[in-house]
Amino acid sequence: MFGSKVKIDKNLMEKVKKYSKIAGYSSVDEFVTHALEKEVAKLEDAGSEEEIRERLKGLGYIS
Amino acid sequence: MKTGFKVVSVAFPSTLLMVLAVGLMEQTEPPPAKKVIILGIDGMDPGLLKRFADEGALPHFSKLMKDGDFKPLQTTMPPLSPVAWSTFITGTDPGGHAIFDFIHRDPKTLMPEFAMARTIPSDWTVNVGPWVIPLHSGRIELLRRGRAFWELLEEEGVPTTIFRIPSNFPPTSEGHALSGMGTPDILGTPGTFSFYTDQLTHETEDVSGGRLFRVSVQDSKVAADLLGPDNSFRKAGGKMAIPFEVLLDPVEPVARFLVQDHQFILKEGEWSDWVRVGFDALPHLVTVSAIGRFYLKQVRPTFKLYVTPLQINPEDPAVPISTPDDWSANLQKELGYFYTQELPEDTKAFSAGIFTPGEFWDQSQFVYRESRRALDYALRNFEEGLLFFYFSTVDQGCHMLWGYSDEKHPGFRRDANLAGSIRVLYQEMDEALGRVMQSVDDDTTLIVMSDHGFNPFYWEVNLNSWLVDKGYVKLKDLTQRDGVTLFQNVDWSGTQAYALGLNGLYVNLRGRESNGIVSQGAEYDQVLDRLEADLLAMQDPRNGNHPITLVTRTHRDLKGTNVASAPDLIIGYNRGYRSSWKSPLGEFPREVFLDNRDPWSGDHSVDYRLVPGILLSNRKISLDKPALYDLTVGVLDEYGVRKLPAMIGQDCLD
Repeated sequence: MFGSKVKIDKNLMEKVKKYSKIAGYSSVDEFVTHALEKEVAKLEDAGSEEEIRERLKGLGYIS
Repeated sequence: MKTGFKVVSVAFPSTLLMVLAVGLMEQTEPPPAKKVIILGIDGMDPGLLKRFADEGALPHFSKLMKDGDFKPLQTTMPPLSPVAWSTFITGTDPGGHAIFDFIHRDPKTLMPEFAMARTIPSDWTVNVGPWVIPLHSGRIELLRRGRAFWELLEEEGVPTTIFRIPSNFPPTSEGHALSGMGTPDILGTPGTFSFYTDQLTHETEDVSGGRLFRVSVQDSKVAADLLGPDNSFRKAGGKMAIPFEVLLDPVEPVARFLVQDHQFILKEGEWSDWVRVGFDALPHLVTVSAIGRFYLKQVRPTFKLYVTPLQINPEDPAVPISTPDDWSANLQKELGYFYTQELPEDTKAFSAGIFTPGEFWDQSQFVYRESRRALDYALRNFEEGLLFFYFSTVDQGCHMLWGYSDEKHPGFRRDANLAGSIRVLYQEMDEALGRVMQSVDDDTTLIVMSDHGFNPFYWEVNLNSWLVDKGYVKLKDLTQRDGVTLFQNVDWSGTQAYALGLNGLYVNLRGRESNGIVSQGAEYDQVLDRLEADLLAMQDPRNGNHPITLVTRTHRDLKGTNVASAPDLIIGYNRGYRSSWKSPLGEFPREVFLDNRDPWSGDHSVDYRLVPGILLSNRKISLDKPALYDLTVGVLDEYGVRKLPAMIGQDCLD
């Protein structure tokens, strides 16, 4: 296996195992991947540089 | 909930059956006789007001000064509208309400963001074919902290009506409120106009605050699109668009417009009325409604068409712009369509050369007349409680027209029609004040106020470039000084401090900034000491002036529980100076000091002591030097409502 390894606190890992089953994920990997994707999407929602420029450029005080 | 505003609902349009929504509630409870009317005039300057009044141009202001009282009103540091109005709203300094500039940054991404509100997208969606359907909608969060004074009044049963006060989007009120500064256009920006012409090299071109589109005139016909917001319902995304056609008269400078189900004819140099359009986001289910006005600038030889930023339609708002939610629709029924974006005067079209000065004046007068009509309506329907009403035209006019009356300005322009234009804007406010005074009786307290005054904007300071020169910022590539924005050229591993927004300066702090290098504690204090000393010693080599006269250390000088989110320093520029056009969003041009030749020629983002606002009242003003936060307490005291512990002012009205 050549995938990245991530250290997770033991207590958290137990919770992850428990909730991945409850939530119907087929594996811990799938649950963790989905959770990380959601977090990354949130960060990406903050906007690309182009979007940020577009949102701010109408402000009279800056060009 | 009580309201002092007559709400008119039309049950059957043809019968004009009107229902006074709260008439019945008031039968069991006699209305309080006390009334307070606040006229909020953004950017009205005490020096200019006194000068025009002394010249006899402002009879109603003169009468109020003589019969009542008039004093300068201390503003905030920085003296920017979102900051200053938030202080009036909450009675706290920026450390209390957490609005420190137009723009702040996320310390984790170091990306600039709007400081007044943010959008929280929907977390839960389902995918159906090419569509992504949210199971519940996202929301917009007002970032102003603290409680608005009108909320305290509402709790005590005082009816309130708040017209377009800044820093109140989405609006908070149990009474009636229409949002103002902070409210976006339909694209989610502070205002993006469209300009269509056959004289453009590229297919589209972005300018600050607008987008230019190349069109072709074929068989006397122009076909183009109105650009709408992103379609978040489509998996692939993309902007929504509404095609429209312009049919040119082959001989006369006249054109027929076909926009969805609307048809209208404009002559060259003529404006359309508001045109309602709908963007289909989800076929047959979700339509985003907007309104815009068309200005046929020229038919030939070059085709030139301007379209206002598309507004959130008050009749069917895509996001909440009023409380109650349907109040904006009621207002639309009474007043017709109106601008809903935060500052509708199109300063960007003027700066980009799309508008001539005269066209800017005409467009800003549309805004004024809409506001003036709304004031009439507000006063006609005001029965009891508190009425706040806001005007933006003096502020926006002083920004754009200062250079026509100040011969010392590097961008001075001689124009007989505009040389006295600021005086005219003050006279318009005088006429509006006259109308307000007709509604003032013995039980009414009248307050006329502004958030800040005005200064000339002669010289730009590229503060971030100065930080490079002084060794506080390390750039990755010293040859790439222009055109790289949003701090993309910064080597954070060698950067101690950076400027962002109009007056903010941040230390690159370890544990707060994602790539912070300055340790909290002694090193942080040493960096601030050195910065403060260096900033105050800054000198413009061209004239020997000190461009900075005040440095506010937020953790030392501000009160309140939200100082943690503040810039570490707030910069107070000297008269004539201001942050450059490029520095606030993280650019690093070579030159530190530049002449400002932009039509945006007046400003107020300086040392707050240079730009106090105004306070007039038919009551005596009891403090020698009243401040915005004192006025908050003064308004509460009119109703015997005690200030909150977080409020730092004291009553200022007898």
